[in-house]
Amino acid sequence: MPVPKLPRRTILKGLGGVTVGLPLLEEMLPGGTRAAPVAAAVPVRAFNVFFGLGIPAPLQTEGFSGVLEPLKPLSKKLLVMRNVDHIRADANGINAHFDGATAAFTAEAPNGEAKAGGPSIDQVVRQTWHPDGLPAGMVPTLVSGTFFRRSRVGRFVHSYNANGTVAAAMQERPRDVFDRVFGAIAPAGVKNARQLRIKRSVLDSVLSEYRYFTGARSPLGIASRGRITDHLERIREFEQRAYALPDRSGEDTSGPRRPLPSKLQHGGAADPGGQGIDIELDDLVSEWRLMADLYALSIEMDRVRFGSITFLAAGERLRVKGVYEYGGRPIYEFDDARDLNASGDMGCSHEWWHKFNPGKQNEQLRAHAHMKMREVAYLLQKLDQIADANGHSVLENSLLTVSTESGDGRHNDAKRELSGVFHAITSAQGRFKTGQIMDVGREGLDVYNTMLAAMGCQRRLGPVDREPALVDQILV
Amino acid sequence: MPNDSGDAEKAPAGLLLRGIVFAVGLLLFCEAPAVAAQSLAAQSAVTPPRVSRGLVVLYDFGDSSGIIVRDRAGVADPIDLTIEDPGKVRRSSGVLEVRGSTLISSLHPPRRLIQAIKRSGALTIEAWVEPSRENQSGPARMVTLSKDSTNRNFTLGQDGNQVDVRLRSLQTSNNGLPSLAAKSGSLTTQLAHLVYTRDRDGQSRIWVDGKLSASGKISGRLSNWQRAMHLALGNEINKSRPWLGKYYLVAIYERALSANEVEQNYAAGAGVLAPPGVVRKRRDPRETHFELAVAPILANQCLECHDAFTRKGGLALSRKSTATAGGDTGRAWMTGSAKDSLLWQLVEQDAMPHKRPPLSRREKRIIQKWLDDGGVWTLRRLDPAVYVHGGRPDANWLRRLTTAEYIETVRSLFAIDISKPARALLPPEVRADGFSNTAYNLNVELKHIEAYQQLAGIIVERVDIEAFRGRFKKRVTFTDKDMGDLIKKIGQTILRGPLENREVIAYRGIATTLAATEDSSIREATAAIVEAMLQSPRFLYRMERQRGAGPAQPLDEFELASRMSYMIWGGPPDARLFQAAAQGDLYDAASILSEVSRMLQDDRAMTQAERFFADWLHLSRLDYLQPDRGKFPAWNPVLAGDMQRETIAFVREVVWRQNRPLSDLLNAQVTFLTPRLAAHYGLPVKDRGDLQDAETLVRYDLTNVQSRGGLLTQGSLLTVGGDEASMVTRGLLVMHELLRGVVKDPPPCVDTTPVPSKPGLSQRGIAETRIANKTCAGCHARFEPLAYGLEKFDGVGGYHEKDEHGNVLRENGQILFPGDATRTVYRSTRQLMDQLAGSERVQESMTWKLTQFALGRPLTAADAGVLQEIHAQAQRRGGTYRATMGAIVSSELVMLMRTGGEQ
Repeated sequence: MPVPKLPRRTILKGLGGVTVGLPLLEEMLPGGTRAAPVAAAVPVRAFNVFFGLGIPAPLQTEGFSGVLEPLKPLSKKLLVMRNVDHIRADANGINAHFDGATAAFTAEAPNGEAKAGGPSIDQVVRQTWHPDGLPAGMVPTLVSGTFFRRSRVGRFVHSYNANGTVAAAMQERPRDVFDRVFGAIAPAGVKNARQLRIKRSVLDSVLSEYRYFTGARSPLGIASRGRITDHLERIREFEQRAYALPDRSGEDTSGPRRPLPSKLQHGGAADPGGQGIDIELDDLVSEWRLMADLYALSIEMDRVRFGSITFLAAGERLRVKGVYEYGGRPIYEFDDARDLNASGDMGCSHEWWHKFNPGKQNEQLRAHAHMKMREVAYLLQKLDQIADANGHSVLENSLLTVSTESGDGRHNDAKRELSGVFHAITSAQGRFKTGQIMDVGREGLDVYNTMLAAMGCQRRLGPVDREPALVDQILV
Repeated sequence: MPNDSGDAEKAPAGLLLRGIVFAVGLLLFCEAPAVAAQSLAAQSAVTPPRVSRGLVVLYDFGDSSGIIVRDRAGVADPIDLTIEDPGKVRRSSGVLEVRGSTLISSLHPPRRLIQAIKRSGALTIEAWVEPSRENQSGPARMVTLSKDSTNRNFTLGQDGNQVDVRLRSLQTSNNGLPSLAAKSGSLTTQLAHLVYTRDRDGQSRIWVDGKLSASGKISGRLSNWQRAMHLALGNEINKSRPWLGKYYLVAIYERALSANEVEQNYAAGAGVLAPPGVVRKRRDPRETHFELAVAPILANQCLECHDAFTRKGGLALSRKSTATAGGDTGRAWMTGSAKDSLLWQLVEQDAMPHKRPPLSRREKRIIQKWLDDGGVWTLRRLDPAVYVHGGRPDANWLRRLTTAEYIETVRSLFAIDISKPARALLPPEVRADGFSNTAYNLNVELKHIEAYQQLAGIIVERVDIEAFRGRFKKRVTFTDKDMGDLIKKIGQTILRGPLENREVIAYRGIATTLAATEDSSIREATAAIVEAMLQSPRFLYRMERQRGAGPAQPLDEFELASRMSYMIWGGPPDARLFQAAAQGDLYDAASILSEVSRMLQDDRAMTQAERFFADWLHLSRLDYLQPDRGKFPAWNPVLAGDMQRETIAFVREVVWRQNRPLSDLLNAQVTFLTPRLAAHYGLPVKDRGDLQDAETLVRYDLTNVQSRGGLLTQGSLLTVGGDEASMVTRGLLVMHELLRGVVKDPPPCVDTTPVPSKPGLSQRGIAETRIANKTCAGCHARFEPLAYGLEKFDGVGGYHEKDEHGNVLRENGQILFPGDATRTVYRSTRQLMDQLAGSERVQESMTWKLTQFALGRPLTAADAGVLQEIHAQAQRRGGTYRATMGAIVSSELVMLMRTGGEQ
């Protein structure tokens, strides 16, 4: 249920006992929009929520009584779609970890190790609604996540520009997200008004150069101009944070601080040669929830309207340990390496997907998938607790697309692996049906294009010569 | 002739007839029938084609009104001219008559034209004109590329009744003197076809109405051509040498036309409106359809079962000869008919590809069209590696400086080491398509902006700004002139090329702010200007002019200098290279080679080579190596660093010090080990026992060490197989990185869970079991045997005769080189390394890898032809790193900017 907005000096209590301070939030917002009456229009928002390794299609048929159970409390606000296929995204054989993950939210095969075949849903919506950029001071796209495997960018980044390049750099630590969204920047070498004047002058000349190279007389081609345009946008954001904020040096700064450094491994250390890492369930969940809290807060404070968030990468390799409970009842005690009787990559939970057998219980896979749904539900519930101006929650008003990389993890049938890929979407201000589990039986491309059409986007995903085929049954 | 001058019949009838015959022949030869027919229809029935090769600028005066004279060469950015005083001219379609003194000139210096001619050292100026008087002199400027009455690159002028041509070269004056003049009386008030040609050797000729009128030698290179010249008709730029008369056509070529070509253009006549798309050689579209559309499908979908080795059904599509011969059931396709072709029938029914997803509708349409159009097959070999990244070039992505390039650029400019803060502040680069410098993935985030700002501040703090300024200008005041001068000089170095006025003005704004600020100083102003430059796009990106209508255009000299230096050194041009660019020496192939050769002797080139090998072999992976403690209890994490250092020291020795062919890295019998790594490898420890020696790399001659020798026997690469020393992963490493082989992911119904070894079953045994399985063999037989020779090395690079279960380990195996029909057998690890080192395929792969790194982008089928030339040239010069890099840098992949479609 929606709850009242947070007070100005919001304090976010992270699960790991970490408190997060937001001393400058209000001032960061352009033109005092936070102080505006709540009658302001509800902004268009679109986010992609990715979880790794997927839910085998046969398990999806069990509805909320199976691994989808954690989504049940939100069932009225979700449309769970079954039998959505990405088979055309099979670019290089049948390994869905990479191909399937890149197709999530783009419905197209990748076009390079760090390039999607086209834009993602959130970015098409962003370009449609903000063709000239977002209001000053906002983060154009927030890409974050808790993940470890990183051999290819498509495994963990899920927002892509129209040309297939990543829409924003991945923020993989809670502290990174905090800095990216809320962090104030102190321009180097500025101690007084005189120095500030000189720095501004420097920045002005820098800006004029970037404007030239993005303008009509630019000698650059389309792709390069786009890159310089990105650079220019970031400089403007920098300018806003570094120079447009009032001097608060004399104010009380005793409020809570940035999140503590992450206790988990990140960067290259988190993926030692694809061999996987050991991780305690509590540590994993604590960091993810702090990440989810920050992401939700970024949306609530209207600092972010578009982006993606990832809970575990495609083909994630973790040797998870810990007791997993749900609703006070024990589900499973994870110890992947023990259960698999193996070390290295062969001792990782990933193997449960390789071993999936629809004729068997698949106890470990079920427990892992259930846990992932619990954590996805955590984020969704956070968004459902934030009220928008129209009395509905952010969850209801935003276009949230939840998806994953495959409908089967066995790597033994391309069609099966990339068919029945789990999808759930929200109503996006009443555009889409919710409160049901629907057997859609269509290509992801058609589903996504239907969603984009409903969001007012002209741009369509997929080959230009492909006949559009709307999926009416998902529309209200 | 379609103009209103009444001079249409000027060209002799015989010439016109000859032109028609020539035109038909040329069109039929150059174009597909349909295209030829269209072009013919587009041309006048009595108009032979004009020569188009080397055409840079063409004015046909086709517009009958307006102040713009349009360049219709259709090859790149048009160089349109503007009529300053329209009241002094009269226009009709195909004619521009200058009736009074005015100027018809380009708004900006025609960079493209100047670059093209500087690079070629040759040109042709052609004009169909009709002077209004015989007594015009000065000479009166008919066509000029100049700055004022005493500074020019060239001028085609009228001096009384003579044609007079001035050309600037290293042997003539800034005014282009001495000039070359045609015979007296060569110019009257009649319509005349004037052509001036000058070849690279300086041989110059003037042709009047298709006949040679004068010739002489205008020696000297054109490297002193000035960039600031404007192209103009009808007057000098300062309007001091007017020419009055009618223009029917003006054209400029970047080469000297031959006598026949001059005659051909004369035969084409004056007033030839440029057809939509000047006639130029086109390839048969069926050929390009095959190479760009069909070949990728065949390579990606069919070769798995139908290459020279697998040859299912007796059909091998990997070579033209075997593909056209067909298989066990006869020819795979019938010329000109898809429906009668077995290949199409199987594809249409989704029976092929066998046990793979069927072709898409689009792919089927491509195959059907190809067969219906005759099944043209142009390529001698079909190499799937060529199509991994698609057929057509990707968009042009300008390159942001990587962190390493940023550090080197700052070091080179200011002689300070900024590596520590730069590496701390700048986000790390993310690998894509095998390298971390892939341009499309060099994104920019808020952290970059913050870091660039902070680093600029740190740099100006550390640098002695006064001394830095003194390198460029000793005495400076806050006047616009002084500051502008300083900005130009500093900026030229920091921004790697001359500044435009707009930039000078922008940076001068900073000085103005400082001048109006209390207690300001020149030092402070200089520091602020440098700070701004360090954050500018021209510093942080390798800025190049990418726009143009043609498929490609030459780089300008400064762009080329930057490409050369960043490719060879990973940093900016030094003073000498910069000077060569400024003097125009980089338009000369010999000068370029000389510079490249010099640069490749520099230590910076070695450092860049090390970056290449570290990136290609992904040595940073070792930073995070975490072998299983239970399996490798003796593992010391410091060994991972030792392994990185071993490989870099080895590369330095073989590639640099010994200057051996790149492929010798596979079997060079030398390495460099710390005592602990030597012990880990089971080699004698050359340790004198003191602390320093524990970290020192010691050279090992491996001639008599059978187990080691070459890159693949080093821990840095052996660890790629993980704890279980996976033959799959190691085999794929050899296949992908050294052989450029292509295999797909596992087919249906295969459990891909890695299998651990056990008593009685080594990893080799497991691999052989996989290969014995028909379903797996198609792919696994290609790459796993490549790793057999490495079986004696465990997951962390240790050497053993038996594995942990007591299984005896072997080292014999086979190599299937991509495209070969048979396997090559090896009996030992060393023999495997020798065979790899001697393989043309491996040598070629190294050329490809180095080229990808140099260009900062994945290579596509469109690059394949040039890569072949690069490789051949590199091999002729010894196949060394230096030879290969030299061949890359002097290739058209570097010399030209792809502009197709970039608007």
